[in-house]
Amino acid sequence: MRATFYLIRREFAAYFTGPVGYAALFAFLVLTGLLFNLALGLLTERGPRGLEYPMQALLGGLDSPDTARVAGVLFWGLFPAVTGIITSRLIAEERGTGTLEALLTAPIRDWQVVLAKFVACFAFYVLMWAITLVYVPVLADLHCTWNFAITPFSVMLLVGIVLWVLAKVAFWFEWNGWLMLALSVLGPALALTGGYLHATQDEVKFVEIVAGIDPRPVLTSYLGVLLAGAMFLALGLLVSSWVKSQLVAWMLSLLLGLLFVLPAYLRWQFDSSSVVYPALYYVSVPEHFRRDFTRGVIDTRPLVLYVSVTLACLLLTVRSLEARRLR
Amino acid sequence: MIEVEHLTKYYGEYPAVRDVSFAVEKGQVVGFLGPNGAGKSTTMRILAGFLTATGGKVTVNGKDVFWDPIAARRSIGYMPESCPLYTDMRVEEYLWFRGGLKGLARRERKTRLGYVLERCWLKDVKRQIVGTLSKGYRQRVGLADALIADPPVLILDEPTAGLDPTQILETRKLMRELGQQHTMLLSTHILSEVEATCDSVIIIYQGKVAEDGSLAAVRQRHGNKPLEDVFVRLTGQEGI
Repeated sequence: MRATFYLIRREFAAYFTGPVGYAALFAFLVLTGLLFNLALGLLTERGPRGLEYPMQALLGGLDSPDTARVAGVLFWGLFPAVTGIITSRLIAEERGTGTLEALLTAPIRDWQVVLAKFVACFAFYVLMWAITLVYVPVLADLHCTWNFAITPFSVMLLVGIVLWVLAKVAFWFEWNGWLMLALSVLGPALALTGGYLHATQDEVKFVEIVAGIDPRPVLTSYLGVLLAGAMFLALGLLVSSWVKSQLVAWMLSLLLGLLFVLPAYLRWQFDSSSVVYPALYYVSVPEHFRRDFTRGVIDTRPLVLYVSVTLACLLLTVRSLEARRLR
Repeated sequence: MIEVEHLTKYYGEYPAVRDVSFAVEKGQVVGFLGPNGAGKSTTMRILAGFLTATGGKVTVNGKDVFWDPIAARRSIGYMPESCPLYTDMRVEEYLWFRGGLKGLARRERKTRLGYVLERCWLKDVKRQIVGTLSKGYRQRVGLADALIADPPVLILDEPTAGLDPTQILETRKLMRELGQQHTMLLSTHILSEVEATCDSVIIIYQGKVAEDGSLAAVRQRHGNKPLEDVFVRLTGQEGI
């Protein structure tokens, strides 16, 4: 387990020691910033026009003003490119430079290598989306009132959060393993129970957050984003294990990723009562977001697709590494 | 420590290694010789667990590299040919990471890191980024990586390739010192190096073992000629 842990750390840190991570972050933040700008424009527009689902605008699902549609197509067209930038280096680069030999002769199993690399790229992906959380207060029209009520439960919540953060710091700076374990068990436990009791038992709250617009689509959108992202990342990881060149890996993962994006823009070509239509809908990720996740609907069908494709790709990646030894 | 029995490896139709058998005793330093393409690297990669053999059996420290790969790899320090490293990390960070990857606990890793930095003369460059190091230093980092988990067996694939004469002398000295604590199998082209560092020698040609034995015994068998002549004769390029 220790080996997996160190591999995750190294793979995650590698995004920041090279240009790759910054390139992906730049492309991603430009795209989401553009969409946020559009959403903000629509939300503050005078007159009878407006925006029903702000998250739909942020995730490129709007059809009505032409600029929003173009931005949406741009976002989804470049989404597999961004996940491709994150994943293409993972195995292809190691094969290209030969470091894979040093990695695979260490006492570590192939599935641990694949798992560690996937966890690292997924963590980077989560970090990317975590930055977009700054848009949420505007999109859900959140208002905070700080009461700073000190009750046993709120103190418990705060201490729990501090311990939780400390656990993350401990992970990063390699403190004592037992201390880290204790912190990461105690922290969340205190924070969650304290938070629950504080929310249900106490009269005056530490902080009150009121959303002007239904906040639940925000939650479902982020759920969808995480799982759909996992699918694209696993696909990219698989492709990365096939080739030696990072560039080829990137282009192939972009092409394969587009198979899950382009059907969304073909939907006008087919009669909605034909057999093709539901089949196309099943693999068109932008449609899942436009129709379900950004409107607060959790449809389990796309979730099953995302999770099963992710698992299948990871399994195939392990096999592809194993096949290298037999060649 | 290393036992190889009837090892065979096919790349598609091409047999890179054919029915190779040899054994390396504990505490020995063995030179693994052969012309380019003879199957040296392939054999070493199989020993280290990077490739799987088509047939035959390999055990390292009593562990079968195919059936018990993790335990076998734990007892091997392997340095691949041309010594690939992560060029974006610092020397210290890289060795720390490799120690973790090989499952060393924190405290043990700290002492081992200090030891290998000292041993491989890397103290001055420990904060330097690997990508900016010269070839000689990189080779030493690779060697330090092989040593970090204190494995009983060292497998080094051309540890002196591409070094300048001073560096070769230094590396050779280090190798001799390491040979006192570790069982070593090292491949090379440079015959004088074998004479300077190794107890015995295995010569491999076209995927087969052509000669195997202690330096003195091999020389005696070929009429006390220098190793160079023996090598040329065995690898069939006498007339050139």
